[in-house]
Amino acid sequence: MAASGGGSRVDNGYGSQQPRRRKGPGALATAYLVIYNVVMTAGWLVIAVGLVRAYLAKGSYHSLYYSIEKPLKFFQTGALLEILHCAFGIVPSSVVLTAFQVMSRVFLTWAVTHSVKEVQSEDSVLLFVVAWTVTEIIRYSFYTFSLLNHLPYLIKWARYTLFIVLYPMGVSGELLTIYAALPFVRQSGLYSISLPNEYNFSFDYYTFLILVMISYIPVFPQLYFHMLHQRRKVLSHTEEHKKPE
Amino acid sequence: FVSYQVEILDWKTKEQLCFLDKVEPNATIREIRLMFHKFYPQWYPARQSIKLDPKGKPLRDEEILQHLPVGTTATLYFKDLGPQIGWTTVFLIEYTGPLFIYFLFYFRMPFVYGLDERFSSSPHPVVNLACICHSFHYIKRLIETVFVHRFSHGTMPLRNIAKNCLYYWGFAAWVAYYINHPLYTPPSYGKKQINFAVIMFLLCEAGNFSIHVALSDLQRNGSKTRKIPYPTKNPFTWLFFFVSCPNYTYEVGTWISFTIMTQCVPVGLFTLLCFIQMTIWAKDKHGTYLREFKDYPSLRMPIIPFLL
Repeated sequence: MAASGGGSRVDNGYGSQQPRRRKGPGALATAYLVIYNVVMTAGWLVIAVGLVRAYLAKGSYHSLYYSIEKPLKFFQTGALLEILHCAFGIVPSSVVLTAFQVMSRVFLTWAVTHSVKEVQSEDSVLLFVVAWTVTEIIRYSFYTFSLLNHLPYLIKWARYTLFIVLYPMGVSGELLTIYAALPFVRQSGLYSISLPNEYNFSFDYYTFLILVMISYIPVFPQLYFHMLHQRRKVLSHTEEHKKPE
Repeated sequence: FVSYQVEILDWKTKEQLCFLDKVEPNATIREIRLMFHKFYPQWYPARQSIKLDPKGKPLRDEEILQHLPVGTTATLYFKDLGPQIGWTTVFLIEYTGPLFIYFLFYFRMPFVYGLDERFSSSPHPVVNLACICHSFHYIKRLIETVFVHRFSHGTMPLRNIAKNCLYYWGFAAWVAYYINHPLYTPPSYGKKQINFAVIMFLLCEAGNFSIHVALSDLQRNGSKTRKIPYPTKNPFTWLFFFVSCPNYTYEVGTWISFTIMTQCVPVGLFTLLCFIQMTIWAKDKHGTYLREFKDYPSLRMPIIPFLL
């Protein structure tokens, strides 16, 4: 659900249509977007390298979260800017859809993994972090190259193929992490408020998390099949273009 | 005397759905809809969107064939709007729900707060007052739907009713749950807060009603042309000097007063959502007024005087 597959950010306008067909952002906006996407690609590369180095140093793949905690928080939260990009029209995507996708990632990063310290050592965290990292490196470099009108087929292929594995991998990691957090949330009453209180309001974060998990059931298949559909459209379109050469 | 021919095509497939021969030049779109309905009984007039351009706006019932930019053989496009439901029916269903749902919580049905609390009553007078106000609000709305409102469109798509009911009924249940809860806490400033809220509530309800009556009177003779609403002798309508949609202004005021009365966050959230939705509707209406009337009063804002 948090778009953890390669290229599973749906309908961003870069995917299924060639940039030159659209009006496109102005020169200044394009320059800014190139810088933004390069910085994000670099950031996620830092996280990838951090994971590899920590693995080599520790000798095991457990509890690697701590070594990349800060850059993960920084760059994943930075993605909130993408909502503004849509709102200001420099990226031809739906504000609502982008907001939904970014917020679900930010939710998992801060409201689950950061807030419930006990899950940070879970292996499920590594599962979604790796999925996100590979996805984002490919996605941001895809945007960078697209903006420069020089998209290597390999990147396009990677974006529209690797999600097949990365997306379910990420979703599994996310769901397992939320599930692992449940008992600790119940025990500590995290982010929950009960009656009586002068605001006459109650909120049970435990129940809320369960509802979040349930919401993956309708959302994930829709996004996944949409990406499969996009893949068929984009990759076959390119095949046709390559033939005359 | 030239008689027209009208062909009606499907807006998407461009397939010819029907061909009407010998149509009077002064035939209205309403009459064309009726003729089309004879060919396709399942597509009653309210479901028909008839347009000049496949991607354009639907034509109104009152439009006359010869005044349209068409030759003597007119090509019109049809789009099925899906099953429709009358506005009056919609409102009746939307407003009766909250009325009765609130009672389920007020009378503490066993399945709501558990068997121990079943049918018990609250020691706080404000809880009774809240029930009276909430019920009054929805009864007023039901009365207005039957006797006051004149709807410019007859119908809306059927699928909207599920969405709308979920919203109105769901919020009514959520709000009623907290106000009638055994652990409900009355407002912090006690009687002062409650009395202030009641007075504000009554004023806003009176205001809202006055505006609905004024708007309804604008179209008393059944004319469908839009007119600019103006303040009348009723002081509540003087808000028209400052806003285009004072009915929405008063409605938001009602819910603010209910929030103050009950000091309940869910009510506050509902009020916020109402405010956002009504601001969108008000801006829309205001835009329509500005487009249609060159002499529209420039002082007026959509929903909040001078601000919004």
